[in-house]
Amino acid sequence: MVKVFSTPSCPFCVSLKHFLKEHNIEFEEFNVAEDKKAREEMIQKSGQMGVPVIEIDEKFVVGFDKEKISQLLGIKD
Amino acid sequence: MVYDLIIIGGGPAGITAGIYAGRQRLNTLLITKDFGGQVARKAVAIENYPGFEEISGLDLIQKFEKHLRKQKIDIERDEVIKIQKTPNKFLVQTQSKSKFESKTVIIASGADPRPLEIPGEKEFIGKGLSYCAVCDGALFPDKNVAVIGGGNSGFETAIFLAKIAKKIYILEYGPKVKADKVNQAMVEKISKVKILTNAASKKIQGDKFVNSLIYQDRKTGKEKTLSVDGVFVEIGSQPSTAFARDLVDFNERDEIKVDFESYQTKTPGLFAAGDVNVGRYKQIITACGEGAKAALAAYEYLQKL
Repeated sequence: MVKVFSTPSCPFCVSLKHFLKEHNIEFEEFNVAEDKKAREEMIQKSGQMGVPVIEIDEKFVVGFDKEKISQLLGIKD
Repeated sequence: MVYDLIIIGGGPAGITAGIYAGRQRLNTLLITKDFGGQVARKAVAIENYPGFEEISGLDLIQKFEKHLRKQKIDIERDEVIKIQKTPNKFLVQTQSKSKFESKTVIIASGADPRPLEIPGEKEFIGKGLSYCAVCDGALFPDKNVAVIGGGNSGFETAIFLAKIAKKIYILEYGPKVKADKVNQAMVEKISKVKILTNAASKKIQGDKFVNSLIYQDRKTGKEKTLSVDGVFVEIGSQPSTAFARDLVDFNERDEIKVDFESYQTKTPGLFAAGDVNVGRYKQIITACGEGAKAALAAYEYLQKL
């Protein structure tokens, strides 16, 4: 289960989502600018106040860290 | 394979160079971490790019990227860590350990936000400290925040945050703010923005997240504490040029010296366009213009090989 916490105006979030789509990774998206519950969940669980945050099998990665995300998702290119 | 041209960077300069190179049918590779650079992170709408009376940075860049992708050029999402020169070609090495070869290179890697270099800054990145208000600003509803930097980007960040935060402090190191008249007039109308001049940021404090910022009033020498949950750093940018160190000359700000007719650096076949070079005016339109000129100069250079 992959969750992406992002805001609509964040360029790194767009890059991250583009990358996931490119590799056919299904993900659930939470707009933390609007969704207060998701915002609090993200801040509490990840200890982060910055986006994007991606949750992959209960592991959190902050920012569009391509290498770490690829590793957790088993993406090779 | 040896490319005709490698473009490093996916902001306005790199994208424009890519469009021109594609149209000249140069065998081109563009390497970039992300598209848009500083433009995509801009806090308020762009109102000085002809043809678009008002457009967000992200929207403009998406149009740029779409235009670029119409060209027959290769694109790699990666970060360049080193450029080397052999007698006939350049070797470009990336973070993911790929190596590419090319006859010419345009450096259009732009600039990164300049850090404060004060205690607490590194520890609280992503925990209340941010260099991207359009990304993280929405996480601070009804909170008190500080914007460090009284130039245009600081003021634009404050204007953006005014829609979200409760109270915004702008801290300017000098005795006067440097933002232009339009931005100053806009901020004047927002009562929840307070401007502090002669304010030298000293330390960012907190527990799990930021809870305060200590600054020194440079007039009185006294240290003061602001209770804030967010600190947005907007004190300018520094060029991303370290990977080219051996092949170019820098000015005192680490900007690459170029010949302004061809945008060529001291190394033949190596060009630098946009915010990364010593050019005085850092605008989207000027970066585009330089990208176009560098691509045409690279084309001309290749014809003579």
